[in-house]
Amino acid sequence: MTRLKSPGEADYASGRLIYRGAEADIIKGEWQGLDVVYKVRKPLEYRLPILDGAIRQRRTLREAEMIHQAKKAGVEAPCLYHVDPASATLVMEFVSGDRLRDLIGRISTVELAQVFFMFGRDVARLHASGIMHGDLTTANVVRRGKSLVFIDFGLSMRSERLEDHAVDIRLIKETVVGAHSDFALEALEAFYKGYSTLVGETRFRQVMRQLQNIERRGRYARVA
Amino acid sequence: MKDFVLGVESTAHTFSASVVSSDGEILSNSKSVYKSPEGSGIHPFEASQSHLASAARVLADALHNSGIPQDEIRAVAYAMGPGLGPCLRVGAVAARTLALSLGVPLVPVNHAIGHIELGCLLTGAKDPIVLLVSGGHTMIISFSGGKWRILGESLDLTLGQLLDQFGRHHGFASPCGAAIEDAALKSVNYLKLPYSVKGNDVSFSGLLTASKALLDGGETFYDVAYSIQETAFAMVTEVTERALAFTSKKEVIIVGGVAANRRLGAMMTAMAKRHSSKLYMTPLEYSGDCGAQIAWTGWLAIERGIEIPIEDSKVRQSWRLDTVEIPWRS
Repeated sequence: MTRLKSPGEADYASGRLIYRGAEADIIKGEWQGLDVVYKVRKPLEYRLPILDGAIRQRRTLREAEMIHQAKKAGVEAPCLYHVDPASATLVMEFVSGDRLRDLIGRISTVELAQVFFMFGRDVARLHASGIMHGDLTTANVVRRGKSLVFIDFGLSMRSERLEDHAVDIRLIKETVVGAHSDFALEALEAFYKGYSTLVGETRFRQVMRQLQNIERRGRYARVA
Repeated sequence: MKDFVLGVESTAHTFSASVVSSDGEILSNSKSVYKSPEGSGIHPFEASQSHLASAARVLADALHNSGIPQDEIRAVAYAMGPGLGPCLRVGAVAARTLALSLGVPLVPVNHAIGHIELGCLLTGAKDPIVLLVSGGHTMIISFSGGKWRILGESLDLTLGQLLDQFGRHHGFASPCGAAIEDAALKSVNYLKLPYSVKGNDVSFSGLLTASKALLDGGETFYDVAYSIQETAFAMVTEVTERALAFTSKKEVIIVGGVAANRRLGAMMTAMAKRHSSKLYMTPLEYSGDCGAQIAWTGWLAIERGIEIPIEDSKVRQSWRLDTVEIPWRS
């Protein structure tokens, strides 16, 4: 049996940088003959090495664990091939499809509503299984065929708390209103419908009330 | 022909007035800053009394130093909010009086948008991701669909409050940013503190509690000042980086009082470089609260016909910047 190499720099040196996120470089390459992406949390120069190293390692391990948890909850996530905490690297399946961010504006409002309904339903599945995603932006969800794949669990954690679930929803609202203002109303309405269908009216109302509390805590906010 | 606008700022500790021209020249920018007693923060009423006492002189200086005759002032702009009620009212009264006596329109300006627009004017940034960090704000902002939108913010304390409340715990008077920056330069000993990034948002309350506890537990002020800066600045830099990566914009600007901090500037510079984006820093003199931010934004507004009848010119202590229509950028 061939011993697996640790996916250090050498392994993805021939790969192609396809996305530079805030946290990690996404490099498309090959691993054991498979088309994969390397998610490498490179050291951030602006953060003290001692702080930076701890954050990168913690998030890498947690992401691996949360990808697994999401699948148990019935939400699609990339297939994980290898984890290397030392270099803060994950080797994962390459998910082909369109990020929600790139779909918006390109598909009809009806289709957009369907996509956001699914989005809401899948987020509800995570929440119902006690998972807070932590980074629900439209860049972190990919439409593949008829379903959605959540591709970034870097800030996810186990949580049943209403507050954490509301923070998740708040980020979606913030992103949709902030970056896709033209479609915000329809998209959010569909999202909420999908969410409440799964968790039920009562829980949905509780989450929304908590969301309102959080928004009220915001600076200079006047929430109706 | 050039137009001239006089702007009045009085949202918090600073009472300031400025005359700017329609082509973006700052002709004067006089100010008076209320100083709180050691170990305490701004007392809103006392700050307003300080503003009252200095208002006439600051306004006269702004007009005089600009060299512009009163009858050439086209409009008077004032910071309508957000801010401390008693302080805002002093500025509003002064602005109304001036507008009435000069017979020119009164223009309401959102203080936070003033920071952003002045920063863009002075640095040449066109369409940046904005990190607004001050005693009143910690927000990551981007222009889209006719408004400045908030992509991320602090869920509790602002960065300025974090530094001030930490500094006051040690016995300094607000604002404490400069004293903490100096102290931090004397240490390289990082003490572990909670790092709290939630999506695009940050939370500082746990960091403040833990930092105070370290001080109370006998750690040196230098070490804790260094550690709180490293932690808090890395948090806001990370969420700004997230907004930058998410929007793919090519410019970043830091505005607000905490923009004066060099360590924050260095972190943001390194971050922007990673994304081949350009970092703009508002010049020190104009990064904090000043009349010029109100005067310049007032010009942008009056040019689009935005003014307010005197009888409606109340102040708005709570006035989120993402509720303001920005016709001059659409």
